[in-house]
Amino acid sequence: MKNIILKNRYTLLVTVLTVYIVVLVIEGSITGRQAQVLNFENPFFDLHIKDLEELVERHT
Amino acid sequence: MNKFHLLQFRALLKREMLEHRNLFIVAPAILAGLVLLFSVWAMTRMGQDLISVGIEYMALLFNGLSPLEMAPIFMFLAIPFIGVFYFCAIIYLMNSLYQDRQELSILFWQSMPVSNLNTVLSKLVTIGIVAPLFYIATMFVLYVIAMLWLTILGWSYDIEVAGLGYMFLAAVASLIFVYLSIITTTLWLLPTIGWVILFSAFAKRTPIMWAIGVFILVGFLEEFIFGTQFLGNFVESRSTPMQYLILDFQDVVERLINYDMLFGILVGSILLAGAVYMRRFID
Repeated sequence: MKNIILKNRYTLLVTVLTVYIVVLVIEGSITGRQAQVLNFENPFFDLHIKDLEELVERHT
Repeated sequence: MNKFHLLQFRALLKREMLEHRNLFIVAPAILAGLVLLFSVWAMTRMGQDLISVGIEYMALLFNGLSPLEMAPIFMFLAIPFIGVFYFCAIIYLMNSLYQDRQELSILFWQSMPVSNLNTVLSKLVTIGIVAPLFYIATMFVLYVIAMLWLTILGWSYDIEVAGLGYMFLAAVASLIFVYLSIITTTLWLLPTIGWVILFSAFAKRTPIMWAIGVFILVGFLEEFIFGTQFLGNFVESRSTPMQYLILDFQDVVERLINYDMLFGILVGSILLAGAVYMRRFID
């Protein structure tokens, strides 16, 4: 196994990235990690892009 | 770790600073010079009355106030330095392991009793602990010059300048918070740093294109294979500066010991381990 992973730089890169993404997916599934980029909250106004998407869908 | 390993690691850090002194010593010095030049120009444009009123107001405003409580105000002054530091840090991380292979100096270093792990760790310690010290030292010198300048001007206008001492202490305390914030940022952004270092060790040319391109590709593959967007969510969830800024000593423990920080260190360590093993492959 070790020989296959360390065969060349590409096999090593693919292995590292696979481990990385699998760990992220498992952790994300367990904790239910959600992106916050859709919600822009500040003291002046609240912007929820998801709400806007719903609004567009309702109109179409 | 015995004395030999400590000396060895110190030598590695010294090497990093000597090889990249333009990024970590010259860049903040030039910025400080520009800030000073701009300040002198701005002061010459202001009238004497305005300057004397400004100094008197500052001295009165800060007189008797706790420097630690006032320190966050002065963190804004560090923004240009932090911006330049982050820019230089990205250039450094992107080139650090790549340059070794391009120049073939990797052959020399691998013939020395220095492990790949120590080499990669030295890059991390340089960017997280050693290099910021030069930026902080430059800002400290700038604050001392500004303080002396204001004091002399205050005396010449016959103003009570005792309050400026409190202001100076607040500025110095802010430097401690800036330094702690940079250390916290390094740990918080360890997955990003690990990603960049991995591609710096991997790419035969243009590591930045590899780093960005593969990130987009992996994101697509995740969506395609697992039907999730956890990579994007993970990156986005770590992009708010308030997650790693230190504005109070009480923030240190809160920022350093929490689930997200520890998980980020774990994920970053996977990528750094990949970079360590990647050093085996020399072009």
